[in-house]
Amino acid sequence: MLTLNDRVLGIAALIFAALITAFGYDLEPPFSYEPVGPKAFPLLLALIIALCGLRLVIKGGGEVEANPEGANVRIATMVAYLAGYAFLFQWIGFIAATTLMVTLIGRLFQATWAQAIIGGVVMSVGLFFLFDKGLDVVLPAGILGDLL
Amino acid sequence: MSSVLEYLSLGFSVAFTATNLLVAAIGSFIGTIVGVLPGLGPINGVAMLVPIAFAMQLPPETALILLAAVYVGAEYGGRITSILINVPGEAAAVMTTLDGYPLARQGLASVALSLSAWSSFIGSTIAIIGIVLLAPLLANFAVAFGPAEYFVLMVFAFCALTSLLGDEPVKGILAAMLGLFISTVGVDSNSGVYRYTFDLPNLADGIDFVVVVIGLFAVAEMLQMLENLLGGTSIEVPKSERKLFNLKELAFTWWSTVRAGVTGFVIGILPGAGASVASAVAYANEKKICEGKDPNAKFGQGDMRGLAAPEAANNSAATGSFIPMLTLGVPGSGTTAVMMGALTLYNITPGPVLFDAQPQIVWGLIASLFVANVILFLMNVPLVRLFASMLSIPPRLLVPGILAISFIGVYAINATRFDLLMVVGIGVIGYFLRKMNVPMAPMVLGVVLGDMMEQNLRRALSITNGEISILFESKISIALWILAALVAIVPPVLRKLASKKASVPAN
Repeated sequence: MLTLNDRVLGIAALIFAALITAFGYDLEPPFSYEPVGPKAFPLLLALIIALCGLRLVIKGGGEVEANPEGANVRIATMVAYLAGYAFLFQWIGFIAATTLMVTLIGRLFQATWAQAIIGGVVMSVGLFFLFDKGLDVVLPAGILGDLL
Repeated sequence: MSSVLEYLSLGFSVAFTATNLLVAAIGSFIGTIVGVLPGLGPINGVAMLVPIAFAMQLPPETALILLAAVYVGAEYGGRITSILINVPGEAAAVMTTLDGYPLARQGLASVALSLSAWSSFIGSTIAIIGIVLLAPLLANFAVAFGPAEYFVLMVFAFCALTSLLGDEPVKGILAAMLGLFISTVGVDSNSGVYRYTFDLPNLADGIDFVVVVIGLFAVAEMLQMLENLLGGTSIEVPKSERKLFNLKELAFTWWSTVRAGVTGFVIGILPGAGASVASAVAYANEKKICEGKDPNAKFGQGDMRGLAAPEAANNSAATGSFIPMLTLGVPGSGTTAVMMGALTLYNITPGPVLFDAQPQIVWGLIASLFVANVILFLMNVPLVRLFASMLSIPPRLLVPGILAISFIGVYAINATRFDLLMVVGIGVIGYFLRKMNVPMAPMVLGVVLGDMMEQNLRRALSITNGEISILFESKISIALWILAALVAIVPPVLRKLASKKASVPAN
C-alpha cells in the first residue's frame, strides 16, 4: 500500500494548485469596475500552494508511521458508517439514524451487541429530547414522525 | 480611566444576568470535562458548541460567554489527569505533569489539585486585569487602520501562527492557504461571479465555517481515535490527608504564580504562541530562577512551584489570547479563530469598532471571563472526583456521542444533507492532513479570515487602481511587514542553532 510521506503531500498540493488554477482561470466578471477581479486571490493562493508543494517534493522525508494492524479497515468502515449516517439523518429521522450509528460505531469500539444496541437507543432518545424538546434545536423526526 | 470603570460595570451588569451566569456555569462544567478527556482540547469543545449555541438562538454575548467559559474550563480540566495519571488532558497541560504527578505519588494529590486550581485562578485574573488595561488602548490604536494595514496585519498573524506552531513552517503555510481557499468558494460579493461552486446550489453561499471546523476537529479526531483501541480508564482520586493547600504552600508558590501569570499573558497576546508555549516558557523560567536562589529546589520531583507556574501561565495565556481577536479583529490562535467564526454567524465582526458599537459584547465577555474563573475555581476543588470519573466513559459511548452532537450542530445551521456529507468528506481530508503533520490551526484561521483578507486587499488596491505600492506606504504597514518577517525568520533560525548546539558534543 501507498505510504504517506511529505512527497505524497507535495504532489497532492501541486495537483490541487493545478485544479484551482484550471477552474479559476476563466472567472471573469461580466463587467468590472475594480482593478482586482474575482480570480486574482484564488490564483495567488494556488501559486503559494504550488510553491509549498514543490518544496515538499524536493525535500522529501517525513515518513508517516503505518497504522497498527486492522486500523485502516476500522477507519474505512467508520467513514462508511458516517457517510450513511449523514445520508439517513434527515430521511429516516434523528432517532432511527442515531440508534443505528451509535450501535455500529459502538461495535467498532469493541462493544458487545447488547451494550451497543442499548447505548444506541438510550443515547438517541436522550439526545433527541435534550436538543429538540429541551433546547429548541429542531431535529428531523423522520419515520417516527407520528409518534413524536 | 473612569470610562474603563464605567464599561467594566456595564460588563458586569451583562455577566450577572441570570441567563449569562447559568451559561457561564454550564460552559465551565462542560469545558472542564472536555479538558479532562485526553484527545479533546479547548478547540474541539468550542467547535462542537458553536453551532448549538447558534441554533438555540442564544444572543451573541451569551453565546460568546458560553464558548469562552468552555475555553477557560478546558485549561482547568487539562491539569486533572496530568496530576493524577501523568497523562495531560490537553496540550497545554504537558508541563503540569512534570511536578504534578510526582506530588500525587507523594500522597499530595488533593493538595496538588487544589493548589493548581488556585494558581490557574490567579493566572487568569492577572490576564483579565491585563485585558482591561490594554485592550481599549489597542483598539483605539487599531481604529486608524485602513484596508492596507489590515491586510498586512493578517499576513503578520499568519506568519506568527505558522512559524511558532511547529518545526515545519511549509506545512503551516500550506494549511493556511487551504483555509483561505475554502473561504473563496461561493458567490464573490464584489462581482457576483460564482467561484468553485461547480453549479451546486448548496455551494453558492460558500462552505459554512461550522462544516469545516466540525469536520477537522470532531470527525477527523474521532477517526484518529480508532487507530488505537483503548478502553476507558478508571482512576481514583487518592484520599490524601489534606484536601486543601495551606497558607505556607500558598506563600511558597505565590511569586512563581504571579511571575508565570505575567509571562503567560504576554505570550498569550502574541498571535500563534498560545497556552502550550506559555506554560513551557514559564516552567523553564521558574526552574532557572528558583534553582538559582534555593538549593533545595526539586523541580521535576514534585516542587510545588513547578506545578503552580505552568498552570498559572497556561490559563493566563488562554485569557490573554482574546486580546488580538477583540481589539484587532484578527484572532491569534485556533480556538479564538473558532470563536470569531461563531461571531460571524451573528454577522458581528470583532475588531476595534466593536468596542464602541457594541460594548456590551466586549465588556460582557471580559466580565464573564472573570465570573467563569471564580466559578471554575469554586467548582474544581470539590468536584474533582466527579471530573476524574469522566475518564471511565468508554470510547464505545464517547465517540458516537461526540459524533451525534456534532451532526446535530451542523444540521442545525442549514438543515441539509449536503452539509452533513461535506462534514464527513472534510473529516477524511483532515485525517490525512493530520497524519502528515499538517497543523490545523492555520487552516481554521484561513477559513475565518479569508473573506476579510481578500476584501481588504481588493479595497486597498482599488484605492491606488491596482498599484501594490499601497501595501508598503504607511508607517504601520511597514512596521507590520518587518514584524512579520522577523517572526517568520527568527524562530526557525533559533531552532536550527539550538539543534546544532545539541549535536555538537560538549568538550
